[in-house]
Amino acid sequence: MLVSPQSLLAQEIQGDAANGKSLFNSQCAACHKLDKKVVGPALGDVTQRRDLEWLTAWIKNNQELRESGDADAIAIFEEYNGSVMPAFPALSDQDVMDILVYTIEGSKPKEPTETGGETVVAAQEDDYTLLYILGALLLFMVVLLARVKNTLKTVQGEGTTSMLEDANVFTRTALNNPRVVTVLTIFIAIVFFQQVYVNLMAVNVEEGYMPHQPIKFSHKLHAGDNQIDCNYCHSGARKSKHSNIPSANVCMNCHMYIQEGPKYGTEEISKIYAAVGFDPESGSYIEDYEQKPIKWVRIHKLPDLAYFNHAQHVSAGKVECQTCHGPIQEMEEVYQYSSLTMGWCINCHRETKVQVETNNYYEEMHAKLKEKYGADADITVEMIGGLECGKCHY
Amino acid sequence: MADNKKYWRGISELENPELTQTLSEQEFPSQIPADEFLGNEDNLDSTHTSRRDFLKYMGFSTAAATLAACESPVYESLPYVVGPEEIIPGIANYYASSYYDGHDYASILIKTREGRPIKIENNKQAALNGGANTRVHASVLNLYDASRRQQPVVKGQESTWSALDSGVVEALKAAETKGQQVVVLTSTVLSPSQKALIKNFGSAYTNFRHVAYDPFSYSNKLDAWQEATGKRALPLYQFGNAKAIVSVGADFLGDWIGQSVSGDYAKNRKPGAGMSRHLHFEAGMSLTGSNADKRYKVKSSQYGAVLVNIYNEIASAKGMATVSGSDVMKAEAKAAAKELLAAGNKGLIVCGGNDKANEHLCIAINAMLGNTETTLSYENRSYFRQGDEKAMKALIADMKAKKVGVIITHNLNPFYVLSGNAAFAEAYKAVPATVAVSQKYDETAANSSFVAAESHYCESWGDFAPADNHYSLQQPTIKTLFNTRQFEECLMAWSGVSGDYHSYIKSNWSSLLGGNDWSTVLHDGVFVKSSAVAEEMAADAEGEASGADISAAASSALAMAKKAPAMELNFNQMTGMGVGTIANNPWLLEFPDPITRVSWDNYLSVAAADAVELGLKNWNESNGALNGSTVTLKVGDKTLENVPVFIQPGQTIGTATLAVGYGRVGAGEVADKVGVNAFALMGMEHHAGASLELVAESKHEFACIQLAHTMMGRDIVKEVSLDTYLNEAAQNGHDGWNEPPIFETYKGPLVADEVNLWDDFDHETGHMWNMSIDLNLCNGCGACVIACHAENNVPVVGKDEMRKHRDMHWLRIDRYYSSDTTEATAEEEGLSGIDMYANMEVPSESPEVFFQPVMCQHCNHAPCETVCPVAATSHSAEGMNHMTYNRCIGTRYCANNCPYKVRRFNWFQYHDNTLGMFKENYAMNDDLGRMVLNPDVTVRSRGVMEKCSMCIQRTQLGKLEAKKRGEKLKDGQVQTACQSACDTGAIVFGDVNDKQSKVFAMKQDKRMYHLLGSVGTQPSVFYQVKVRNTKA
Repeated sequence: MLVSPQSLLAQEIQGDAANGKSLFNSQCAACHKLDKKVVGPALGDVTQRRDLEWLTAWIKNNQELRESGDADAIAIFEEYNGSVMPAFPALSDQDVMDILVYTIEGSKPKEPTETGGETVVAAQEDDYTLLYILGALLLFMVVLLARVKNTLKTVQGEGTTSMLEDANVFTRTALNNPRVVTVLTIFIAIVFFQQVYVNLMAVNVEEGYMPHQPIKFSHKLHAGDNQIDCNYCHSGARKSKHSNIPSANVCMNCHMYIQEGPKYGTEEISKIYAAVGFDPESGSYIEDYEQKPIKWVRIHKLPDLAYFNHAQHVSAGKVECQTCHGPIQEMEEVYQYSSLTMGWCINCHRETKVQVETNNYYEEMHAKLKEKYGADADITVEMIGGLECGKCHY
Repeated sequence: MADNKKYWRGISELENPELTQTLSEQEFPSQIPADEFLGNEDNLDSTHTSRRDFLKYMGFSTAAATLAACESPVYESLPYVVGPEEIIPGIANYYASSYYDGHDYASILIKTREGRPIKIENNKQAALNGGANTRVHASVLNLYDASRRQQPVVKGQESTWSALDSGVVEALKAAETKGQQVVVLTSTVLSPSQKALIKNFGSAYTNFRHVAYDPFSYSNKLDAWQEATGKRALPLYQFGNAKAIVSVGADFLGDWIGQSVSGDYAKNRKPGAGMSRHLHFEAGMSLTGSNADKRYKVKSSQYGAVLVNIYNEIASAKGMATVSGSDVMKAEAKAAAKELLAAGNKGLIVCGGNDKANEHLCIAINAMLGNTETTLSYENRSYFRQGDEKAMKALIADMKAKKVGVIITHNLNPFYVLSGNAAFAEAYKAVPATVAVSQKYDETAANSSFVAAESHYCESWGDFAPADNHYSLQQPTIKTLFNTRQFEECLMAWSGVSGDYHSYIKSNWSSLLGGNDWSTVLHDGVFVKSSAVAEEMAADAEGEASGADISAAASSALAMAKKAPAMELNFNQMTGMGVGTIANNPWLLEFPDPITRVSWDNYLSVAAADAVELGLKNWNESNGALNGSTVTLKVGDKTLENVPVFIQPGQTIGTATLAVGYGRVGAGEVADKVGVNAFALMGMEHHAGASLELVAESKHEFACIQLAHTMMGRDIVKEVSLDTYLNEAAQNGHDGWNEPPIFETYKGPLVADEVNLWDDFDHETGHMWNMSIDLNLCNGCGACVIACHAENNVPVVGKDEMRKHRDMHWLRIDRYYSSDTTEATAEEEGLSGIDMYANMEVPSESPEVFFQPVMCQHCNHAPCETVCPVAATSHSAEGMNHMTYNRCIGTRYCANNCPYKVRRFNWFQYHDNTLGMFKENYAMNDDLGRMVLNPDVTVRSRGVMEKCSMCIQRTQLGKLEAKKRGEKLKDGQVQTACQSACDTGAIVFGDVNDKQSKVFAMKQDKRMYHLLGSVGTQPSVFYQVKVRNTKA
């Protein structure tokens, strides 16, 4: 989108606001916001305050600008207590323009966006309507047939029977027939036991479990859009049996500066501040604050009788997080992707190859395994004892 | 007689005999007005609930309850708000620390998970007392004891620290103005900083005294050392250098002078030309005596006479002056002297008891042997015992004379340990302000005006100088759980020293550290200074050497032997209890004593001959439970009622032994009222003349878990003399001393392992975990049993269940006695069949003792696996026998088919005390106690079988760490809990597919054998034949 907005300084800026947004988010957002002073000044109206040439010089290398004796540059540096802004020599002139265009575009009031929710609901209703129509049609057919039969009977001069009487006669005849009863009993028993089995097997299988969390944290935004490595927050996964939920101080590494989210604004982020005792206004921690832990709702829970170790899978097995947790980077709210049943575990252990080639731990074992299964055989977890009871139950 | 007995249902019935009549006539004690209600129709009409309504309500509530139960519970997951840097959830941290409770000292590592201390490990870097005993291993559980004092107490009321502090300071001021004494009464103080603080505290008062008193006193022994060398401190013994050890009553592997010597002792117990020879004289059967090559029975009061004879033998051999002797144990003394002389300066003689003359004789004999600085050191002294009885006696006199204004006790429970001294209790009550710094509301605390709730050692800072040049640090591993303070902080508050104790130690250590880094020392936990002495400790110990008069000592020793009482009562400490400082510990109470295999009790051990004479009996019930007579025990004018009697093979005739540490009041719910209080009879000596009187028709119920006390001719523990071991072949057709069982088959004779019904597993690929247990090095101390308890969340089942042999220990240490009847002697006597076996069942009066740790043998052809109907127990490629709890349905077929009887069944929900059955198991059934559980091991439910897993959580962790590093797993990187707790190195665990491993070498050893090899189970656990250093 190319725009040429008007401003107080009446400067002509041409640039791509979308590229500007992504650059702003990756390079500037740690210290700047459009509408608010954070570490550095708010940038929403910066093009109205400064001319483009000065801005370009400042952004690319502010220290050089200050050293050249530019009074404005020195003044702004001192106003912000001498906090140093890094130089960005890698940004081209056009990049700078893009960012500046975004500062203008981004601070315009947002237009309400349309939601697709209604259409979804309508589609679901459609499904049911079809069923209702079919049902009605069937009922109509039955009534029609009864009418036809009665009409025929009247034609033959016999007495008519009501539908209820017909049904009665039919049921009685059927129930007096031992074969029908046997077949029916067997059928009902099979259905019953099948249902019992299916329902029992589903006890505590929480596939798709998606509880509401105390903070509307979006993995889609963090892991998907912003490409934050899973291990940054869930640092335990590589080292320990637990892939820990990050403590609030890890959140604060970024959210000390990013005080507003794209969807819920300050509402959700302020819950982190309430937990750790951070005052976003002054940008500092409140002293002697009684910290309150965030009560996340646990989604993935293996029973205590099964031992699972994240490090074993992530560090030793080099299994991707998504293998078990699904497309987490696309989840707005996290749900349990896998069934976490023993059958599911075992199946994976049967199919997954062990890192025998790359990990020296397996060196001797691999040589022996090659003798046993052939040189080109894929060594699966099963072959190194991954199906033994005691590997997970102790 | 029994028919005439009357029984009442209650006291009210006794008082009102007509009640019985009334009660027998009607079902309910008071009439239920049913007729009245149903007979009145108006009344019925006016009630709003019809039967139909009632059914409706009931149906609704049932349905509602059912529906509500269908919902899955929601689990919350609370991360830290600010995550501590050093904690990664799921990964254990280890902190080097020290344990000292006034009696036991050890250098340890504390394992913590998510900030909770859960296990004690030996600090292998420690040069002194790095091998923790059972008590130290169990001490972590006391941290989570809800009966700990949680608040300070002032005049019997829970109070605040400020109230206590102001009260104490006021009392101190009052004492000072009245010119009364201020006294700090402790057990031995091992900490230099604590000592400095006490000194600093006392400097404010004109009449200040610090009195040290050891619960099990060695005061006279210390006096002997002062007289002989001028320094009131015991030497450091170096058993590792000793080739001949003669112990006259010193139970140095059990409880002696505080120095842990078992690791050192074991160094020379490996069979071979250099193996040490250990002769032992003693009254009762001790842990050390049962490990001796030759054990002699003698009364404690005759220890001195034995020492005199040994002295004379050695003196005459060396051409020195002898003293007049006696004919007590003359031949045996001569044999002992011969051994010592042969070993020269590598000989060592030690003695037990608290007798000055005996110690002087020992010092003189050792001096004649010239073993100073070889097997015992004058230069490096130990400070584990510094108690002074004379000071204690003076203190009691002063207290009685109302000269003491304030007394502060710490690490000592004088009301308990001096309960035999009536004067103490009386004197203590005469002191206006009494302050007990205690973790418990114990005997002393209950009688004190102020109780300062003390922190557990896992919550405290500390430093120790247990011996010259040896230092160690103690660091907190958890924030105080309750409103408690450590003793030093109390002293600082009362003497106005600012800052915290941590910085106090640090500043105290600045000179001591030299160029060393504080953080390094804190990390290692121990610090050995290259020269100079422990100034703080040595200063107190210095004094004048008055010299020793051996002939006077000898005549005093002989005089004592002469008046040896007809029945001599010996006081000892049980391996699991010590002097009872951490008594309220269910792990320790349930720990079966290594010698008697009895738990949850102390008892009077008597010899079988004495038992016959006095009519004392031990008998078993049909379910194997042991019962015993009880006696009334009298020492002078002191009496102890209902003391259970245990008939102990190897007990010297005319002696009886009773352990201290039991019979507590105020130690906590679990320990209180377990056993009898032997301190009530004990004076300053460790033995006394006593009289026993059988209580007619008495029956005491024991929880003794071993029923068969001899091996009855089977080679469960294989034993061989050193001579045979050195000179004969182990396998020599049918003639060797370690023959594997051989079967005649159609293929010819085959070794048991080759006669198979089963296919073999592939054990060449990957790891093959094996364990070697050296029966020569195992001394039965039981540290491994407690370590296993802590590591594997083994439940405590209580005395009643133990009595039914339902103990849950995954690892037990079987103890066998030799019998006078062997198959050879039976043949000579013309005995056979049942008669022979009946005789073989009777332990000898002077038995040899065998210890054998038995856990799941992890059979490669496991009998348990084949009988499990649900495949809950299965074999692993790594040589382990897996037990899957969630699969087990509790048929117990496996336990019945196990030849080693190592499988344990959960008869009850031991971790659930809702019915009040398992209050003893507080480690599992209260929220505080549960903090000690190992989160890596499942807590088992009722109805499932469990057993040793060979610490699979540890092997799995070791493998994972190696994989994470991308390296081969090295030998020693995986250790089982029992192995790492074993100070002597008797247990070796590792991968036999690693040809460089220690366990592989052990498997090739000619001493290697499988337990019950003839069964053909091919276990992954194997034993090493015990070699006794004897000729035959």
